[in-house]
Amino acid sequence: MPLIEVKDLTFTYRGASQPALKGVSFTIEAGEFVGLIGPTGAGKTTLCMALAGIIPFTVLGKMGGRVWIAGMNTIEHEVAELAQVIGLVLQDAQAQLLMTDVEKEIVFPLENLALPREEIARRLEAALDLVHLKEMRRLHPFYLSGGQRQRVALASILAMEPQILVLDEATSELDPVGVEEVLSVVSELKAKGKTIILVEHNMEELVRFADRVIVLRAGRIVADGPARQILTNISLLQDIGVYPPQITLVGQRLRELGLDLPELPLTLDEGITMLEQLVKAHANLSGEERVVK
Amino acid sequence: MKEPILRTENLYFRYPTREEYALRAINIEIFGGEFVAFIGQNGCGKTTLLKHFNGLLRPTQGKVFLYGQDTAGIPTCKLASKVGYVFQNPDHQIFADTVREEIAFGPKNLGFDQSHIESITKDVLKAVGLEEYIDCPPFSLGKGQRQRLAIAAVLAMEPDILIIDEPTTGQDWHESIQIMELLRELNSQGHTIIITSHNMQLVSLYARRVVLMANGEIWMDGTPQRVFSDPDRLREVYIKAPMLYQLAHRFCPNADLSRVVTPEDLADLLYDQIYACRPASERGAV
Repeated sequence: MPLIEVKDLTFTYRGASQPALKGVSFTIEAGEFVGLIGPTGAGKTTLCMALAGIIPFTVLGKMGGRVWIAGMNTIEHEVAELAQVIGLVLQDAQAQLLMTDVEKEIVFPLENLALPREEIARRLEAALDLVHLKEMRRLHPFYLSGGQRQRVALASILAMEPQILVLDEATSELDPVGVEEVLSVVSELKAKGKTIILVEHNMEELVRFADRVIVLRAGRIVADGPARQILTNISLLQDIGVYPPQITLVGQRLRELGLDLPELPLTLDEGITMLEQLVKAHANLSGEERVVK
Repeated sequence: MKEPILRTENLYFRYPTREEYALRAINIEIFGGEFVAFIGQNGCGKTTLLKHFNGLLRPTQGKVFLYGQDTAGIPTCKLASKVGYVFQNPDHQIFADTVREEIAFGPKNLGFDQSHIESITKDVLKAVGLEEYIDCPPFSLGKGQRQRLAIAAVLAMEPDILIIDEPTTGQDWHESIQIMELLRELNSQGHTIIITSHNMQLVSLYARRVVLMANGEIWMDGTPQRVFSDPDRLREVYIKAPMLYQLAHRFCPNADLSRVVTPEDLADLLYDQIYACRPASERGAV
C-alpha cells in the first residue's frame, strides 16, 4: 500500500468561483522525495493542506475525492491525529511560532498530545539535534535569524515524529545562508529515509534532492515523472513559467549549435564534466579536422 | 564631468542601541539613469545604507548629498518626493481600502492637485499592469500584485530615484520577471533604479552595476560581469555567483564577459572557445 494516496481530489474554497484543484490523483511510496512545482495559483499549497487534513476541516470549502495518509482517510481522522504522521512547514515560519523560547516552541505540541515527560524530553533533544539548534534552545525566536526561525518551525514539526514531511516554499523568504541551513537539514532527513514533499521555485535547489517531480498547473497535474526527465524538459518548464537551471539552458543551446550531447546537464558539476569532455574530445582531433570544424 | 545624483561622504552609522557600527566609511556615487543592485548577506548593511538615501536614517558621521546638496536638515518628506522607497514586504506599507486610495495617498500629501492625482493614478496603475483593480481592496490582490501596487504607490509621487528593497522575495520566477521588466522599463524612461536582492540570477540579468556589501562596508563595486567573475572574493563573504559566471570563470577565464548575460550567451562563448583553433594551453580550459 502506498504511504500517500490521492484520488480524484477536487477542492473549491468557500466563496471562490473556480476550483483550486480539479481531479488530482497520484500515489507516493514511503521514502520518496517528491518535488512539487508549478506557477503561483496552480494549487500547490491547496494540495499540501489537503494532504495534512487542514483541508477541508480548518480551511473551509467543498472537497471531492479522497486522500489517504498511511491508510487513514483524511476526512475520517482529526488533524491532530494526522499531524503525527504528516508534518507541514510553511513559507512564513514566523506565522507558525508562538512561544517565548525555542524549547517551549518545540514541546508545546508534544504537551498537547499528553506524552509522558521522558518521551517529551527525548523528542526535544532529538529535534534540536536534527536542526542543529542545541545552543539556542533558550532564546526567544525574535533573536534568531530567518534561517534559524525556519529551523525552529521545522524542529517543532519533527518532534511529532511524522513519517512524512511537507515543506511548502519553506525557504523562499530566506537569504542564501538561511536557505542552505534549511536545505542541509532537509538533505539529512532524506538520508534518514523520511518521505518528503518539497514545494520549491528554485529548480537548481530542487534538482539536488528530488527523485521525482510533480507539475501542477491550474489545479491539475500536467506532468509527473523522474526528476531528471521533468527538469530537463525545458519547454515544459518554460510553459508553466518556471526557470530551468541555467546550466541546462547552456546545454540546450550547445545542442542547438550542433554539439552532440546525449543528456542535458542539471547541476554545475554535471555541466563541468560535460564541458571538460567536450574540450578534451576536441583537443584530440587532428589539426586538419579542427580547421574543417 | 557628470555629477552624481546621490553621493555619500565617509558615511558611518550606528543604531542607538548597538555598540558596533552598521555602516563604516561608505563612499559611493550614484549617477542618474543607473540600475544598481546592492547584494550581500542579511545584516551586511544594504538596507541600512539605502535608508540613508531618502532620510529614513541619518548618518552618525559623514554626509549624504542629493543632487549635490547636503541632505542634513532636509526633512525626509521632502527627500521622499525625489527618492521613492519601496519596503521589502509590501504589506508593511499597504493600508488603504482600495487600490485607488493607496495610490492617491502619497501625491495628496505632496499637495498635487486633484486632476493630476487622478491622471497619475491611472498612469502608474497602467505601468504596473493593475488598471483593472483600481477599485479593489489591496489585500484581495496576490502577493506579486501587491508588490507591484507598492511600487506604483511610490511611483505616483514621481520620484527620480526609485529604491526597492528585495523586489522579488517570495515570488515565483514568472512574477519576478514581470517586476524586473517593469523596473527595466522605468529605468529606460529615465528613473534611477536601486534594488537589493539575494537572487544573483536576476541581479546578473537586470542590474548594470552591482555593489557587494559585507560587514557594513563596500566589498566590491562594478558591472555584474566583473563582480561575479571573482569567485574567490565572493566566497569570502558567502555569495555564490550565478552558475553562468562560475562556468565562465572556469572555462573562459580570459574571455571578455561584457556581453554574457544569458545562458545562451555563455553557450555561444563556450562554443567559440572549444572550437577556436588554438592550442589547449592557450585556450585556458582545464
